[in-house]
Amino acid sequence: METKRIQLIRFSKVKVLILFLSLILSFNLNAYDKPRAPEAVPGATIVLAEEVVDMILTNPKLIIIDSRKRTEYIKGHIEGAVNILNTEMMMEDLESIASDKTTALLFYCNGTLCIRSANAVTKAVDWGYTNIYWFRDGWKAWTEKKLPMVID
Amino acid sequence: MDRKEASDGNRLTLQFIYELSKYNKSMRIEKLSIKAVTIAIFMMIGIVAIVLSLFAGSYFRQAALDAQINSLSRVIEVASQETLRKVSKHTFDLGMKLGHNKRLIQALQKTDIGVDQARLITLLDDPFINGFAGFAKINLVKLRVYSLDLELIAESSAGITELKNHLPEYLAARVIQRSKTDRLKAIDALWLSVKEPLYSTLVPIGGLRSVGYLEVIIDPAFNLPDIGNITKTPINIFSMTDAGIDTNNQYNKNSHLPVKFTLLTSDGKPAFRIIGYENVEKLSKEMKHTQTVTTSGFLLLTLSTLLFALWLFNRFLFVPLGRMVEGMKQIADGKLELTVNKKGLREFATFAESFESMANQVKIRTNDLERLLDLDDSAILCFGHDGEAVYFNKAAIVLFGYLEEEISELDMNDLFPEDIMELMKSFINKSSILQKNATHVRVDCYHKGGNVFQSDAVINPLETMSGFGYTIVLDPVANKENDKLPKHVVNTIEKNEQRMHAVEQSLNSILEIARKNPGLISGVGYIEPPALPGHQSDDDKTLLREQAVRVMRCAMECWEHDLGKSKLELAEKSKIWPVYIDKSTPTTRTLDKYLHIDSCPKNPRSQRVIDTAEFVLKQSGKQQTPHQQQLVEALQSLRQLISGI
Repeated sequence: METKRIQLIRFSKVKVLILFLSLILSFNLNAYDKPRAPEAVPGATIVLAEEVVDMILTNPKLIIIDSRKRTEYIKGHIEGAVNILNTEMMMEDLESIASDKTTALLFYCNGTLCIRSANAVTKAVDWGYTNIYWFRDGWKAWTEKKLPMVID
Repeated sequence: MDRKEASDGNRLTLQFIYELSKYNKSMRIEKLSIKAVTIAIFMMIGIVAIVLSLFAGSYFRQAALDAQINSLSRVIEVASQETLRKVSKHTFDLGMKLGHNKRLIQALQKTDIGVDQARLITLLDDPFINGFAGFAKINLVKLRVYSLDLELIAESSAGITELKNHLPEYLAARVIQRSKTDRLKAIDALWLSVKEPLYSTLVPIGGLRSVGYLEVIIDPAFNLPDIGNITKTPINIFSMTDAGIDTNNQYNKNSHLPVKFTLLTSDGKPAFRIIGYENVEKLSKEMKHTQTVTTSGFLLLTLSTLLFALWLFNRFLFVPLGRMVEGMKQIADGKLELTVNKKGLREFATFAESFESMANQVKIRTNDLERLLDLDDSAILCFGHDGEAVYFNKAAIVLFGYLEEEISELDMNDLFPEDIMELMKSFINKSSILQKNATHVRVDCYHKGGNVFQSDAVINPLETMSGFGYTIVLDPVANKENDKLPKHVVNTIEKNEQRMHAVEQSLNSILEIARKNPGLISGVGYIEPPALPGHQSDDDKTLLREQAVRVMRCAMECWEHDLGKSKLELAEKSKIWPVYIDKSTPTTRTLDKYLHIDSCPKNPRSQRVIDTAEFVLKQSGKQQTPHQQQLVEALQSLRQLISGI
């Protein structure tokens, strides 16, 4: 009886070890899956870099929101962009720069591998803003095309 | 009739073999054995394999170096692009900072109305004087400002001079092609100025709402040494006029392989010549190792295959062939009871069987002929051209009282008076050999015991394939009644003539076989190659006799003085000369004749003399004595004389 109990304990230890390793492995596998920006965000219009240039030149009231970190913003950003990190963006902050819910808002971050701007766009949509543009390709596409930037 | 036809066929076969052997003797290829030729071919294959492997190794090394050169060239190209990309980033950053400079924008806007160009130049000179972020990363050589229509408005007074007063053609062409929005994008290019290659980046001034363009011009040679840091190899940089730009990198000429790369401008013109030095010491060692391994492996494999093939050849070709040839030689030497070893490939077995079948036929026919001749009551004797005994039938052996094994030692002079040879030659001269007319004479005959008896003889010149001989058919008359003698003689002679015609062809074959293969027929001795009648002059014969006597005397001196043995021992041991018993005393009658010129036969049996000399030399071994030396010289002279004759 005693040996059977020892065997059962050993068996359960092995099962626990296998389960533990499986969990670690699954976490590790998930760690390699980098988050990607969604293809679209309901309530927002996706625009390309050239369209952003046209919008800036044709619509002086356009509000550009840079959802990246401050350190990234300082190294270079689109002319006239306001830096508000998506996680820190509150409704009051947005209302302070765009009290009119129909004001044209343009969000961008680092690019398709960045979900900050998508997250900020979702928030703005939820808060009732109706004229939202999303520069999904973001800063990566802007610099690749060597478009003018502001370096602080 | 059948027997005669068979005899004719046999004679033709033997004649064919004889002619074939004569033909082969003139060919040098006969000196080569199959084994030697095969080994030579295999050695050639082996040598070719070695040479090819060395060539292949050399080509392999060259191919590996070429691949290494291509690889490093590609690496240098990528490193160059990476260096220029970094340069582009630095110039772009500088351009963007200056392009958003409000004072520059204001000065430019004022310039548009024709004022404050001095202010603009001062602003453009400022980075040269006060520096800028990334000052250490690029070598700024000029700043120039253009209008939106790409007309040069101002340029920094600092930096290089002698630049043309317009945008580089390549940049201008690309900007003009662009739409309005695209013109906001910065553009850069590596281009050739009058003096040197330069790198320019054109950025809009004023950002998205541009009021002009700023051209940032730098010297790319400042950044090109970074290529060596990327490739991790020493590099030297030269201009296209071979002026050294960066040539301080140290490298070992023995272990570094130079790899050339030409850096092109944006419009495809050569701008810089970059030479990278790849350390191929390790590669060379690896190549040498690989070459050694592959070459050795290839050679080992090739030589193993060749050795295996040689073993197969030896096992299935040389050994069976050798056994077969050995068997054939023994059969040809007269051992007709032997068989040829047939263990071998199919063709060899067939060949051996065919040869054995032929040998059997020869054996059967030889036996038949011998039996036929032995059945005859008359004594039939055959002699060679110089009187040596070739064949005696049983009646002849009985008549003269010799043993069968003694026949080969006999001469015609041992059996008949010495003038018998002259008599025979006169018959030949009188009657053509081709007519084969027999001559009837009565001759004295010497019995072995010393008795002399008379006998009727039919002397028949015999033509053989290799010359001529004599056949003598004897019918003794001593014991016959005088009144019946003539008739009996006539009958016997006629009978013998008929027999002679019947057996002539067969006998001819036997003689030929006996001549080619001494010992093939019992009682037949060695027959020297004959000379044609009249071919030898009397002088030659005299010389030959003298030389034969000289050789025999030298041989005897060597035998008696050097070896301390007697003449009788020479005859007995050599078995070349017959030993006779005269009144219970052994004598060497025939040998004695060859020791004096007077008693030496007119046609001496030179082969016997040569055999005697060789036997004595063999017995005396390697000791160098004056007698031996004389014998060697005499023997050599005799051989030369024979070959000359």
